[in-house]
Amino acid sequence: MKKFIVIILLAVLGGYTANIFFDIGFGEPHFVQGVKPVKDIYLSETVSNLNVSNTVTAIVVNFRGFDTLGEVTVLFLAVTALGSILYKRRHQVGKRSVMFSASSIVTSGSKLIFPAIVLLGAYVFIHGHLSPGGGFQGGVIIATGFLLMLLAYENFSIGHNALSIIESLAGITFAGVGLMGFIGGGTFLENFLPTGILNNLFSGGVIPIIYIAVGFKVAAELTGVIYTVLHEKGEVNE
Amino acid sequence: MVGTPVLFVAIPLLAAFLIPLLGMIWKELVRIVPGLVLTYLLILSINLLNYVLVHGPIVEVIAGWVPPIGINLVFSAFSGFLVTLIIFLGFIVWLYSYRFKRNVDFEPAKKYFLLLMMLITGSVGIVLTGDIFNMFVFIEITGISGYALTAFYTGRNSAEASFKYIFLGSLASAFLLLAIMIIYSQLGTLNMADISSKIHLMKPVYKITSLIFFITALGIEAEIFPLNGWAPDAYTEAPGPVGAAFAGIVVKASVYAIIRYIYTIFDMSGSFDLLIILGMITLIVAETAAIRQNKLKRMLAYSSIGQMGLVFVAFGFGTEEGVFAALFLMFNHAIIKSLLFLSGSYLVYNSKDKFIHEASGMGKYLPITSFLFALGAFAIVGLPPFAGFWSKLAVLTAAADSHMLLIIALVLIVSVVELVYYLRVVNRIYFFKKEDHVQATRPSYNGMFAMLILGVIILVIGFYPDAITGILHKASADLMDKSKYIQDVLSLNQ
Amino acid sequence: MNDSLFSLLNYGIYGTAILVILIGLYGALVKKSLLKIVIGLSVIDSGLNFLIVALDYYKGGTAPIFSLGYLNGTDKLMVDPVPQALVLTAIVIGFGVTAVALSLVIRLYRHHGTLNIDEIKDLKW
Repeated sequence: MKKFIVIILLAVLGGYTANIFFDIGFGEPHFVQGVKPVKDIYLSETVSNLNVSNTVTAIVVNFRGFDTLGEVTVLFLAVTALGSILYKRRHQVGKRSVMFSASSIVTSGSKLIFPAIVLLGAYVFIHGHLSPGGGFQGGVIIATGFLLMLLAYENFSIGHNALSIIESLAGITFAGVGLMGFIGGGTFLENFLPTGILNNLFSGGVIPIIYIAVGFKVAAELTGVIYTVLHEKGEVNE
Repeated sequence: MVGTPVLFVAIPLLAAFLIPLLGMIWKELVRIVPGLVLTYLLILSINLLNYVLVHGPIVEVIAGWVPPIGINLVFSAFSGFLVTLIIFLGFIVWLYSYRFKRNVDFEPAKKYFLLLMMLITGSVGIVLTGDIFNMFVFIEITGISGYALTAFYTGRNSAEASFKYIFLGSLASAFLLLAIMIIYSQLGTLNMADISSKIHLMKPVYKITSLIFFITALGIEAEIFPLNGWAPDAYTEAPGPVGAAFAGIVVKASVYAIIRYIYTIFDMSGSFDLLIILGMITLIVAETAAIRQNKLKRMLAYSSIGQMGLVFVAFGFGTEEGVFAALFLMFNHAIIKSLLFLSGSYLVYNSKDKFIHEASGMGKYLPITSFLFALGAFAIVGLPPFAGFWSKLAVLTAAADSHMLLIIALVLIVSVVELVYYLRVVNRIYFFKKEDHVQATRPSYNGMFAMLILGVIILVIGFYPDAITGILHKASADLMDKSKYIQDVLSLNQ
Repeated sequence: MNDSLFSLLNYGIYGTAILVILIGLYGALVKKSLLKIVIGLSVIDSGLNFLIVALDYYKGGTAPIFSLGYLNGTDKLMVDPVPQALVLTAIVIGFGVTAVALSLVIRLYRHHGTLNIDEIKDLKW
C-alpha cells in the first residue's frame, strides 16, 4: 500500500517537473527576452582580463571563488564529521579487515601503475587553467591511485598526521591567498599577481596557485576518508 | 571600522584550518582559539551594526567583480541585526560548553569546537550573502556541521536522530538545487538583486514552481509542519548547548532565507497567505504535541517549533508592524529558548533519558539554575514584565491592525497551553521531592556565567524594551523596502 | 542531426534525467535497508547533476575553452560555462554528504547488528 502511494506521488512530481523542463527546451537559447545573461560577460572577460583559457576554471576560482572556498570547507567538514562519528579510543582501533588477499597480478601491476596515476592527477590539476580539469578532478585521480594501493597491499599505510598537516596547510594557503587580495586596496580573493600571456603555464595570476592547493587538499582528504573507513573492525557491540 | 563583512566568513575558515595544526602544539588552544575568533567577530559585528544604522547598508564585492558578475555580501540593518544575534549566541554557547561532558577529552573537543564554529559561520554566511547559489553552499556547510554535532554522543539514539536529519537534509538540498536551476535557466543570473529586478519577466508557471520548491527545501531546515520530522529527535539527542545552537542560530538563518526569498526576490502577495496558513498549522500541531511530552528536551523542541510557527504567521501579515513583531519574537525566542536549553541541560544532567520527573526537587539543590529556568519559562509564555510579553503584544497589535481576529484568539489560546506545560515543569522543580536515584551536578563557572548573561538580558529587555525596539524598527523598515535593496547592490555596476 | 531527431532528444535527455531522480527518490523512500536508502540519496544527486548540465547545451556549440585554435570566441558558438561550474561544486558537496551518511550507517550497524530500518526505529516518529 505504501509503495503504491509513493509511486503515484512520484509520478505526479515527475510529470510536473518534466513538463517544466520540456518547456524550457534543450539546445536552444532559453533566456527570457531582453535579459543579458551573465555567461556572455564571463566568456568575454576570461581572455581579455584574466588571460586564462579555461572559462570554467576562471568561474570556479575567480568569479565565483567564494563558492569554491565554501565547497573546500564542506569537504573539510565531511572529513572531520567522519572522524567524529566513527571515533574510537586509541586502544580500540583495529587492524584493517581484509576478506581476501589480492592476487599477484594486482600487487605487481599496481606498483607499476601507481606513479603513472599520481603523475596524471598532478598534470590535471597543474594545467587546470589551460585544459579541461582542475584541482578537484586532479585530486580525485590521485586519491584513486592511493585507493588502488590500499586495496592491493594489506600493510600499505600513510601517516594520518601527514595527511592532516597537508590538508590544513592547503586550506590555509587558500584562505591566506584570499586575504592577501586585500593588499593594494583590492577585495577578498582578488587577483593580485600579474596575469601573464594566454596559454602559458604561468598565466592567470592567483588561479593556478589556488587550484594547486585545492588539488593537494582534495587528494589528502579523500585518501583520509578511505583510510578511516577501511580501519573499521567488523564487530557488533552495544 | 575594524573590518569588512567578508571577515565574518574568512577568519573562522582560517581558524578552522589552523586548529588541527595548533592542536598538535598545545592542547588548550583547541578550546581557546574559537573563543578568540568569536570575540573578535562580536566586536566587529557590533561595530558594523552601529555604522550601518547611521550610514546605510554596506555592500561588499568579492574577488573584485561587481554584481551581477561576481558574488556580493550585504550587511544592512536587517541582516546585520541577525548576524549580531547569531554571533552573540554562538559566543554564549562556546562559553557554556568550554568543558562539558564528553568534550573534556582532547580528540572529541577538537572536533566539537571546529564543528560548532562552522555551524555559526555557515549561519552567518546564509544571512550575509546576496547570491542564491552561495546561499546553497552555506546551507550545506551548516547542514553537515549539524549532522555531525547531532551524532556527537556515542549512544545509539543519536546516530538514528542524525540519520533522520541527514535524510531530510539531502532531500532539501536536492529541491533547492532544482529551484535555483529553474530560475537560472530563465533569467541567466544568480544574483538576488538582479533576479528581483527581472522577476516580472518570468512566466508565472516557472515562478510558482520555483517558489514551491524553495519553500519545500527551506521549510525542511526551518521546521515548518509537515517537514519537521527530524527536529524533535535532533534537538533531544544533541548535546544541550548544541540544542541551544540549533534553536537559536540555525533556525533563524533558515527563516531569514525564506523571508528574503518571499519579500525581496519573489514579491508575490499570494504567498503571504500561504505563510499564515503554514504558520498556524505548525503552531497548533507543535503546541498540542508539546503537552504530551514527558522528556524535557523534547518538550522544549516542540515548543521551539511552535514559536517558529508564530514567527511565520507574523511575517505573513505583510505589514511593517508584522515584520517588527516577527523580528522581536525571533530575538526573544533566540535568547530565552537558549537559556531554557542551557539550564534544562543541567537540571537533567545525570539522567539517561532526561524525563521531566527526574528534575523533581532540583530547586533546592541547584537554586540559581532552577531560578533561571523559571525565569525563562515565564518570559517565553509572555507574562509581564518579562521580555516575552512585549513581543507577544507586538504580534497582537499587528494582527489587530490587519483585522485578523482569528489570529488573536489563536495566540491567546496557545499562550494558555504554553503556560500549562511550562508551569508543570516549574512546579516539579520546586514543589516535589527529589528522586532518590538522581544526582544533582552543579554547573561549572563558565556555564553559570553564560546562563547569567542571558538571564540579565531577559530582565533588561523586560523592563526596558526600548533598548532594542529602535534597532528592530530600522531593521523591519529595511526589509520592506525592496527597491532600495536592488539599488544598493546594482548601483555598484558603473 | 535533423530537427525532428533533435526534438526527440529534448524529451529523451530531460526525461532520462528526471527518471533517474525519481528512481533515486523511490529507493530512498521505500526501501528497507539503510544502505539502499543512502544509495538512493546518491542516485538523486547524480540525476540532478545530469539535469543541470543538460541545461547548458547549445546546438552546435563547443567547449568554453580558448585554446590556440579558438582565440576569438565569437566565431564559434560556445556552450554555457556557468552550470558546469555549479555542478562541480554540487558534486563535491553531494560526495561529502554521502560520506557522512555512510559513516552513520556504519555506526548504526555497530550498535544494532542489522541494517533493516524497521528494527532500528527506537525513537518515536
